[in-house]
Amino acid sequence: MITKYLRDNLRALAGWTIGLGAFLTMYLGIYASIKDDPATYSAQAMAKYPGALKDLMGGLQDIGTGTGYLQTVVYQLIVPMLFVVCAMILANRAIAGPEEAGTLELVVTLPVERGRVVLARFAGLALGLLAVAAVTFVIVWTMTRQVGIDTPFGRLLAAHIGLYLLALFFGTLTLAVGAATGRKAAASAVLGVWAALGYMVVTVGRGVDAVSWLRWVSPFHYYADGRPLYEGLPAGDYLVLAGATAVLALTAVLTFDRRDVGV
Amino acid sequence: MTAVVRAEGLSKYYGRRRGLEDLTLDIQPGEVFGYLGPNGAGKTTTIRLLMDLIRPTGGRVRVLGAPPGEAAIRARIGYLPGDLVLEGRERARDYLAFLGRMRGGVPPGRVAELAERLDADLSVPMRKLSKGNRQKIGLIQAFMHEPEFLILDEPTSGLDPLVQQEFLAMVREVRASGRTVLMSSHVLAEVEHVSDRVGIVRSGRLVAVENVAALREKAVRRVELHFDGPVPREAFEGLPGVRDLRVEGAGVRCTIDGRPDALIKAAARFTVVHLVSAEPDLEEIFLTYYSEEGAHHDHQVPA
Repeated sequence: MITKYLRDNLRALAGWTIGLGAFLTMYLGIYASIKDDPATYSAQAMAKYPGALKDLMGGLQDIGTGTGYLQTVVYQLIVPMLFVVCAMILANRAIAGPEEAGTLELVVTLPVERGRVVLARFAGLALGLLAVAAVTFVIVWTMTRQVGIDTPFGRLLAAHIGLYLLALFFGTLTLAVGAATGRKAAASAVLGVWAALGYMVVTVGRGVDAVSWLRWVSPFHYYADGRPLYEGLPAGDYLVLAGATAVLALTAVLTFDRRDVGV
Repeated sequence: MTAVVRAEGLSKYYGRRRGLEDLTLDIQPGEVFGYLGPNGAGKTTTIRLLMDLIRPTGGRVRVLGAPPGEAAIRARIGYLPGDLVLEGRERARDYLAFLGRMRGGVPPGRVAELAERLDADLSVPMRKLSKGNRQKIGLIQAFMHEPEFLILDEPTSGLDPLVQQEFLAMVREVRASGRTVLMSSHVLAEVEHVSDRVGIVRSGRLVAVENVAALREKAVRRVELHFDGPVPREAFEGLPGVRDLRVEGAGVRCTIDGRPDALIKAAARFTVVHLVSAEPDLEEIFLTYYSEEGAHHDHQVPA
């Protein structure tokens, strides 16, 4: 059942991997020219964006350095968001999508417990995202060596694991809402709101006391706060992400088991 | 012998909307049960309760002696959804192989044999299947693992007449091997030739369960007789079982309940040139049930 889910989504997985790979190759490739004149580019970047936008982009302080550039263009905003969207699309194809289309009907009437159906699709989601993360990690590692970014392997891996856990968390959130409601739109909406607010809280809202305490519910807090590219694997933060994912997966199993399908 | 289906007071409400109310029904091993009613009457709701796709609001139900939620029993059931959706680039053959594996295996050659009988093409990607071909794939997946109990929701929809005949032959074979079938339809003619019993459901309630043979016996037959000359009305009046008598010159028309014996004997005294007896129309009986039920309701309204 896991292989079936992966095979059905092979095209989507391949497409996302190629797209993300091309994006990473291009953006990391540009660093070759930035490196020649870090002061100018850094100043330009600082001048180009107003304060709030700068916060949103993660500060842009040391875009002239290799690791700073890597943090800004890869691990700060765009790539995590792309990963999250990829996870959302895959997760919607697990329960809510097939249920809305009507193809889930035969699957649920197979001699397999409903909980197992959900778990198989969660496992498929985890493996599919792992494949995307693994390929993109190889691309980032290769490209950084090419253009002369010297972030150590361990730190790069730590940051990429964070990317994977973040995507898996949001994917499982989509899966859980989809399993509980059977509606893709509901699942996507919950994900969109949580992701957008969560990201705002840890960036723009960082200095605002009224909202900064909310960072505890933002997955991005656990993703970025430990600064894995600079300080290595933030084990505690990542465990929180993984634990929350497990809770969501369990919620998906329990809610799907209790409700009417395809009504 | 354990009933294949045993429902007691089974009810399903979708919020406040009624799906099915207080269904009590036993289906015995080896019978073909036709489940009839207009669209929206509760046929699909009943079937989806049996398949554990939806959960009852009240009452209880056992399928093959177990609660429908027990996953293992579903390997012994073949299910054709009323609105079968097949999608994707996957070829029908591969999807059938997947379903077969999940249900614990299909005898080798079985899928090919069914595909040939129904004239289905298994090499087409599923999203390119026409309505009729999709229905054929649905039938193959329901029959292929030779389940003890087949639950078929509107199995004949979208099939051309030749394939329908083949399908009915398949149902008869299932019955001959002692297995059980529950099939729904909104047209009685589709199921009357293979069903042992029919249940009629209307507005969420099972209004009648009838033995098809008994129903046929009860059936009203229209008879038309033509003689070589005018006949007296008195010769046909008051015959047992004869109703709606009309005598016009040399022609006699009437409907008869049950046996036509008295009418035939009365007619034999004259010279019969032509006799027309329409096949008992179960569809008509079927509608009679509905209109009686409808009239019943009308009476209740003012009270």
